[in-house]
Amino acid sequence: MPADMSMLLELQIRFRRAILDGDTAEIVAAIQGDGLDPAARVGIYRNHAFGTLGDALQSTFPVVCRLVDKRFFAYAAHEYLREHPPHSRCLVEYGADFADFLARFTPCEGLPYLADVARFEWALNIAATVREATPLQAEALAAVPAEQAAYVALRLQPSLSYFASPWPIDTIWQANKEDEVPPIDLASGGTSLEIRRSEEAVAWRRLDQGIFAFRTALADGLVLAAAMAAATLRDPAFDLTSALQQVFAEGLAVAFCISRKREIPR
Amino acid sequence: MTKSRPIPSCSVGIGLRLPHVTEIAVTRPTIGFLEVHAENYMAETPALDRLLELRRDYPISLHGVALSLGSAEELDRCHLDRFKALIERVEPMRVSEHLAWSAIGGAYLNDLLPLPYTEESLDIFCDHVEEAQEALGRRLLIENPSAYLRYTQSPIPEAEFMAEVARRTGCGIVCDVNNIHVSAWNFGFDPIAYLDNLPIEAIGEIHLAGHHAAEDVDILIDDHGSRVAEPVWELYAAALRRFGPVPTLIEWDANLPALEVLLDEAHHAEELADARRYVDAA
Repeated sequence: MPADMSMLLELQIRFRRAILDGDTAEIVAAIQGDGLDPAARVGIYRNHAFGTLGDALQSTFPVVCRLVDKRFFAYAAHEYLREHPPHSRCLVEYGADFADFLARFTPCEGLPYLADVARFEWALNIAATVREATPLQAEALAAVPAEQAAYVALRLQPSLSYFASPWPIDTIWQANKEDEVPPIDLASGGTSLEIRRSEEAVAWRRLDQGIFAFRTALADGLVLAAAMAAATLRDPAFDLTSALQQVFAEGLAVAFCISRKREIPR
Repeated sequence: MTKSRPIPSCSVGIGLRLPHVTEIAVTRPTIGFLEVHAENYMAETPALDRLLELRRDYPISLHGVALSLGSAEELDRCHLDRFKALIERVEPMRVSEHLAWSAIGGAYLNDLLPLPYTEESLDIFCDHVEEAQEALGRRLLIENPSAYLRYTQSPIPEAEFMAEVARRTGCGIVCDVNNIHVSAWNFGFDPIAYLDNLPIEAIGEIHLAGHHAAEDVDILIDDHGSRVAEPVWELYAAALRRFGPVPTLIEWDANLPALEVLLDEAHHAEELADARRYVDAA
């Protein structure tokens, strides 16, 4: 530590290490025993932090928890917490990279769909915690000169998520919300999902390949020409006019701009 | 003395927790105010809409748990901005935070961690209270923590530290009577002397909650998960004698009971405050 470092800062950095890593060696000398091992006193705070943050993850990822059982989930959450402590002080916003963590977490290798279930639950969480913006009306594009139409980029609802999986994730998720989990055919194929807040409820649906590719491209900030190209690759019969009408009819777009770079920053 | 039930001499509120929201919205029980944790309403959830509806009929006490005023680094301006935006929407009657720290180096540890009570901590804490009061446009009430450890280098008694923060920053104080009881038990100090060292004019809210005894060691743990314990009711009566009738909150966050139980606890607090009034009048 630098010599002029604040005593309080130094103490708090050591305390943080004791909580996240369980390494109390550098903090115990600063704590009065009062008839108890100082490390055990720090342990009370450590248990509280891991317990409550683990509970927060469990409430955001309930089906992941059910798939691996509570004890294993607590273990996975503990390892995740150490590597990725929360930044936001709103606990509903904790867990954005939990799915990526699970995908790399070798004890979970036997459940290849687990990370995608976590991605789905994170998308549900986004939809539950982000308000829909006022939809853009299709007429707003009427003023765009014809030669620039291909370079229109749409900004979509902030509650929207698109994700595809080689597993029937929505079926797995729904089945695990039941008391008795019905049999699931894991070989029934993948899913391409759209998740959003609709009215005040969270909703999701499967999209066909062309529409999914089109909307994913729009969500990524691609201009209409590029989104259409992506959609046509998946579905040679893709019809831009009707796809665009659907986007407006469903209130998915909230703003637009005209880009020469084929992309806009999100 | 009249036999009819008098108007309560102090306003008693309860914590608004999700499982009770519908029942409160439908039955509209008589409650002095509702308290909510600010961080639970910063995302755009349906719960925020429900709060804004209830807000029309009940005053709100907005209780922050994560501003980390005791961190030896800059306050999180993003969090302060969200706090301010929530204040503007909810228009709470009181806004409070804690004498504690919760985050360092970008990691939020989700607990009210204890500070060493030194001159350095006092300067940092007061600077942060002033910065927060300015950014939020509101006077803050600062709550005394419950603690399970104290530091070897912590020369200022906690109650004096609280009083000095109030004197320097103009903030008010949430006197959490359960926290005083828990810390007094854990560290063997006199809870009445603690009350006597808090400045009467700064006390803006009193908190009451449950605690439990740890299994293997002689430590009380503040858990907000049970009824207020008898010694805490006695300390509450002592607090009323010293501070007069102060708006009082029944806190319950874990093992949430039926709403009826919370209302029963609130009623008991009102009775104690009223009994105090008759003693004063006699």
